[in-house]
Amino acid sequence: MTKKLALIIDQEACWGCDACEIACKQENGAPEGSRWIRVRTRGVQGLDDRLSLIYHPARCLQCAKPPCKAACSVGAISQRADGIVLIDSELCIGCMACIEACPFGVMQFNKEKGVAEKCHLCYHRIDQGKRPACVDVCIGRCIYFGEIGELLDRLGTKRWKFEW
Amino acid sequence: MEGAETTTEGIVRSHCRICHGGCGVLVHMKDGRVIRIEGDPQSPISRGTLCPKGMASVQLAYHPDRLLHPLKRKGAKGEGKWEKISWDEAYEILTRKMKGFKDNFGAESIVLGYGTGRDNEAFIYRFANLLGTPNVLTAGHMCYGPRVSTSIITCGNLPVCDYEGNPRCVMVWGNNAILSNPDEYKGLYLSDALAKGAKLIVVDPRFTKLADRSDLWLQIRPGTDAALALGMAHVIVEEGLYDKEFVRRWVHGWKQFIERVESYPPGKVSEITWIPEEKIREAARLFATTRPACIQWGVAIEQSINCVDNNRSLIALAAITGNLDVPGGMVFYVPPPTMSASQFGAHKMLSPEQRKKRLGGDRFKLADAFAILNPRFVWDAILTERPYPVKMVFLISSNPVTTRAQASMVYEALRRVEFLAVSDFFLTPTAELADLVLPAATWLDMDYVAEFWKRHGYVLARRKAIQVGECKSDHEVLIELGNRMGQSEHWWPTLHDALNAILAPSGLTFEEFAEIGYLRGKMEYRKYLKKGFSTPTRKVELYSTRMKEWGYDPLPRFQEPPESPVSRPDLVKDYPYILITGMRPTAFFHSEHRQIPWLRELLPEPLVEIHPETARREGIEQGDWVTIESPRGKCYQRAKLTLGIDPRVVGAQHAWWFPEKEGPEHGWKVSNINLLTDNDPDTCDPAMGATNLRVLLCRVSKKSEGTP
Repeated sequence: MTKKLALIIDQEACWGCDACEIACKQENGAPEGSRWIRVRTRGVQGLDDRLSLIYHPARCLQCAKPPCKAACSVGAISQRADGIVLIDSELCIGCMACIEACPFGVMQFNKEKGVAEKCHLCYHRIDQGKRPACVDVCIGRCIYFGEIGELLDRLGTKRWKFEW
Repeated sequence: MEGAETTTEGIVRSHCRICHGGCGVLVHMKDGRVIRIEGDPQSPISRGTLCPKGMASVQLAYHPDRLLHPLKRKGAKGEGKWEKISWDEAYEILTRKMKGFKDNFGAESIVLGYGTGRDNEAFIYRFANLLGTPNVLTAGHMCYGPRVSTSIITCGNLPVCDYEGNPRCVMVWGNNAILSNPDEYKGLYLSDALAKGAKLIVVDPRFTKLADRSDLWLQIRPGTDAALALGMAHVIVEEGLYDKEFVRRWVHGWKQFIERVESYPPGKVSEITWIPEEKIREAARLFATTRPACIQWGVAIEQSINCVDNNRSLIALAAITGNLDVPGGMVFYVPPPTMSASQFGAHKMLSPEQRKKRLGGDRFKLADAFAILNPRFVWDAILTERPYPVKMVFLISSNPVTTRAQASMVYEALRRVEFLAVSDFFLTPTAELADLVLPAATWLDMDYVAEFWKRHGYVLARRKAIQVGECKSDHEVLIELGNRMGQSEHWWPTLHDALNAILAPSGLTFEEFAEIGYLRGKMEYRKYLKKGFSTPTRKVELYSTRMKEWGYDPLPRFQEPPESPVSRPDLVKDYPYILITGMRPTAFFHSEHRQIPWLRELLPEPLVEIHPETARREGIEQGDWVTIESPRGKCYQRAKLTLGIDPRVVGAQHAWWFPEKEGPEHGWKVSNINLLTDNDPDTCDPAMGATNLRVLLCRVSKKSEGTP
C-alpha cells in the first residue's frame, strides 16, 4: 500500500507569524490574492475563565475523496497515489466549481492566470526528497510533514486539534 | 569593482538585516540575480527559520520604485521634482555643504541621523565625531539605548536572556519577541524554551499569543511597569524569596532599596497597575522561586517617562533573585575578539568643547554620557536657532516624519532646515523633503561585519550578493565622505580595509571571516566572582552612584505618566481612553515595507485595537475607519475589535504611510499615529530623554465620510 502524505499543524504551538505564507509564496509564486497557506484566526476568544487566541494556518488538506475533484467537470483535478491532490492548470477552465465545493474554503484563485490553485504539499520538493517549503521556516516548529500514520503516532501525545 | 566580484550562480551565505538583523540566510542566485532567500540551517541564531520580511527581501532589492541613482532637488523643497546626478556630484555637494556649515556655524550645526540603523551606527558615529559634531540623532533615546546605558550604570553590561542555558521561567515584559526582533536572541529561542516547559509570565496590556501561552498574564495599565516591578520586589523582599548570599556580597544600596520597595505594597500597586493583588504576589513568587529565570524585555517600557526606572527595576528583579550572569538567567555575553563598536565610533576623537554642545546634553545626562540625544532639541534648533542653528541634517536610513513624536513639528523642521540629505531605498515622505537623496544598499548588496554593536556575543558575516543600480552601502559612502572631508588619516582606503581593521584582533581578514560565517565569544558565567560588576562600586547598584552624581533619584521609582487619566483628569472628558502605540505586526519593520507586495498582502491597512464594549459605546463596528484624536492631532486607522485589550485602552499601529499614494506626501498624514504623540521634553524620561509614545489620552469615533 502506498504511503499517504500529510501536513499536520500543532495549532496551539502556532505563533501566527505568517512565515509559512511567505515561504509558500516564494516557493510557488502565487500572485496577490492567492494564499495557498493562510494564517487564519478568529481573534481573541472569551472562554469561561480566560481568554484564548488560536492561529490556524489553513491550507488544502488533501482529502481522501476530494470534493473539488468530484466538482471539476473537465478532469483537471487528479490525486496521486500518495494522496496529493493536483490541479492541472492547462486543463483548468477557471469555472471555480472546485472552490465552491471545498468544505474548508482553502482553494485559491489565480487572477493572473484565471485558474484555480492550492497547496500541493510542494510535490516537486517532496519528489526530490525535501520537505514542503513552509515547514523549515516555522519558529514554533509546529508544522509536521510525513506519512500520515507515522505522524499520528508521533503526535499522539501532543495537544493538537483542528478549529475552523 | 565590487559588483564584479559578486557570485552569479549558486548560494551566498549571509545574514539578514531586513529588521534589526541576526538571522542566517542562504541567498540563492541565478544569472547574477537573487532568486530566493532561505533560512540557513547552520545559523546558531536562527537555525533555518526565517520571517516573512527576510524572505521578502528579494522584493525589496528589485522593487520597481527603488532608488537607483543619487537625486538632486530640482523644484522647490518638497515639490517632488528631481534630477539624476552622479555619485561624484553628490559627494561634491555634500562635502561643500558640510565644509561651509562647519566653517560658518560650527560642526555642531550639522546633525547626522539614523533610525534603527542598517548596521551603520559605528560608521556614522565615527564620521560625526571626526567631523566634530556631537549631534547624532538616533532612536537610541527610546529604544535599546536606554537598556544598554541603564544596564551599564547599574550592573556594568546589558543582561540578556540566556536561552541556551535553559531558563525554567521567562518573564516577557513589554516585548512581543515572537513577532518582533528583541535584538539579541530571536523568538525561536523563546519558543523553544517554552516547548521545553519553561514557565511563562507575560506583562502586556494586550493579549498576545504569548499571553495565551503563558502561566500568568498580567494585563498592566500602560506606563505603570516600574510600579509593578517594585511591587514584585516588595513581595520578594517581604517573603524572603531573594538570594541572600548574592544580595549580601554583590548589591550596593540594599538597605535603601528595601526602604524604597516598602512604599510599593501590592495593594497600592494593584490600584496603580489595575492588576489584582493576588496576581502580583503570584508572579513575584513564580519568578523568584523558579530558577534559573530571565526577563525578556523590550522597547515598549522604554518609550516612557519611566524609561530608566522601568529598566532599573527589572534589573533589580533579576539581580536580587540571583539570576544575573548564571546559566539560564540574564547573562553578559562575551564578545568575540573584534574591535568594539564604541572603539570604531571614535568617541574619543570628539573634543570636550564640542561634546559640551550636544543638544539637550545638559538636560538628559544619562543619554549625553552615551552620545545620545532627544529629537525635539534638533527640531527646536532648526526652527528657533536656539541654542544655536542647525543648518544641515543628514539622515541615513531614517524616516522621522512617520516615526518620531509630533510628526507635524518634525515635518516642519525638516522642510525648513537649510540642507537635508537622505539616504534610503525609496522616496519616503522624509526623503521627499530632501535637497539630496542617496540610493542606499540593502543587506543583499553589502559586505559587512554585522552586529558587532550587539551584546549577544556574535559577529556575523554579511555578504554582498548583488549590485542594484548605483546603490552604495552607507559604510562605503561614509568612507568616501570621510576621505573627502580630510579625515583620511582616521579612515581606510576601502570598505574591506575597514572591515579587516574591525576583525584584526581575531587575526582574520574579511574574506576568511566570511568563509567561516560568524565568530562567537567564548562564554563564561559568573564573571563577577573574579572581577565584580563594571560599576563604580563593583557591585550591582540598586542605589546608583552615577544617577546620584547627575542629580537624579539614585533609586528606581514609579512616576505617573504625564498624560494619563490620573495625572490629567481635566482631559478625560474629551479624551477618555488611554492610547498605546506601536504594537508590532509581523509584516513591517517600523515605517518600512509597505511597498513590498508579499508583506502588504499580510497587512493591507493600519489597524487600531478597540475593545468591543468601547466600540459599541462609540458606535464603531469591525473594520470601520476610525478617527483617533489626541490633544495634538488626529489620524485614521481601521477598527479591529478585540477582547484582548482593556475597554479603557486603545492600541494603534505606528509609522504608517502609503507608498502607493501620490507623492510627495504619500499619505503620511492619513494614518500616522505620531501626529498624536507628544515630544515635550517635560514628558520625556528626565535622564534618558526617552519620548513617551506609549501612554497618551485619546478619543475614538467612526470616521464619518468614506475612506481617508
